[in-house]
Amino acid sequence: MQHLDPDRLALLALSEEPELGEGDHLAGCPVCRHDVETLRDVATLAADGQDLMDLPPPPEHIWQAIEAGITGTAAPVIALPARRARTWPRWLMPVLAAAAAAVTAVVGTVLVAGVTERPAEQVTARATLAPLTSVPATAGGSVRVLSDGQMQIDVRNLPLTTGFHEVWLIDPDQPTRMVAVGNLSGKPDVALPVPPGTDLNRYRLVDVSDEPHDGDVTHSGRSLLRGTLTS
Amino acid sequence: MSSDDELAERLRAGDERALRTVYERHGAAVLYLAQRLLGNRADAEDVTQLTFVAAWTGRDSFDSERGTLLGWLLGIARRKTIDRLRSAARDTRLSEAVSLQLVPPADREAPERVVDRLVVADEMARLPEEQRRTLQLAFFDDLTHPQIAAVTGLPLGTVKSHIRRGMANLRRRWEVDGAALGSRSASPTRAL
Repeated sequence: MQHLDPDRLALLALSEEPELGEGDHLAGCPVCRHDVETLRDVATLAADGQDLMDLPPPPEHIWQAIEAGITGTAAPVIALPARRARTWPRWLMPVLAAAAAAVTAVVGTVLVAGVTERPAEQVTARATLAPLTSVPATAGGSVRVLSDGQMQIDVRNLPLTTGFHEVWLIDPDQPTRMVAVGNLSGKPDVALPVPPGTDLNRYRLVDVSDEPHDGDVTHSGRSLLRGTLTS
Repeated sequence: MSSDDELAERLRAGDERALRTVYERHGAAVLYLAQRLLGNRADAEDVTQLTFVAAWTGRDSFDSERGTLLGWLLGIARRKTIDRLRSAARDTRLSEAVSLQLVPPADREAPERVVDRLVVADEMARLPEEQRRTLQLAFFDDLTHPQIAAVTGLPLGTVKSHIRRGMANLRRRWEVDGAALGSRSASPTRAL
């Protein structure tokens, strides 16, 4: 069977008048009919996409948030050994030490050293906080998580609030999952304890939000600063 | 203008400026898709951010054999949007979730169709100038091919061949990157 000319298929898809015999051919030829139908779908999609031809350029503040999100992700995230040791309940330590001592003195010494040794002020993770939408570009801050589980937060030029500023650790892969760390109490430099057992590889996005005094303990949705923790 | 392959190579090498270029080129389409599906600008901006961060993290998974960068990004954006809608439905404690539920699902265009419109529009923009102009007159102004010939001064045969070739290009691109025809564009991004 002689199929229709490709030029004609395109024009038929644009609803131009069929020429002599074309209607009959289409009625009996599923191949040509399929081509015309597909091309007609394409034409409809194109016609309905007219407004997409000149979309406004994407906003700069989203790019800043992307940049904040990818900072340091090129480097592999390394485990935080000091943190892992601390997740052992405190009451267990003498038990472990005693058990170890009962086996051999050497092993006991190693275990006790491993559990109790806490190098002061060792930084296990850090993040640079960048301002989000509608937050003055001069706002910012930095975060350091120390080996003793304290999170030190320095912020600058945060917008004034009638409520308070709260610090969160968010799972960037599931942004509705988050841990409340504490509030900034108006001081530029604050140390807050990270809740024991928090997985900083998962909850690695530090977020500072503006919270109203409304008694609602959940995130207000108004984030001011964000940055990703890296080791 | 650097090609998808060139950009993908620079991305793989960890060049953040390549991501910036991709954002400038396709950020508007990703934001449009998210906003269209979520009906909420703030959430759409969040999803756009998540999409580009995920694209950066998963940059090794882009395969130019399977589609274009835009098709890949829109696949990630669709997944991020759907995750967002699901977690919002699960966790209504967040205030933003409440605003999401205020958008009646009936008012939302199917995600696949928004993706299809975006890839076809992107291909339109890539067509040679005369081909694009001819198709615009046919699609947007509903002119017949003799009318297009009269308006543009091009010979009738040239108009016909522009229409045929232009539409063939759009069709090919749609079949590679489109969402409605299958899950091809979604599969390489499933891991993200």
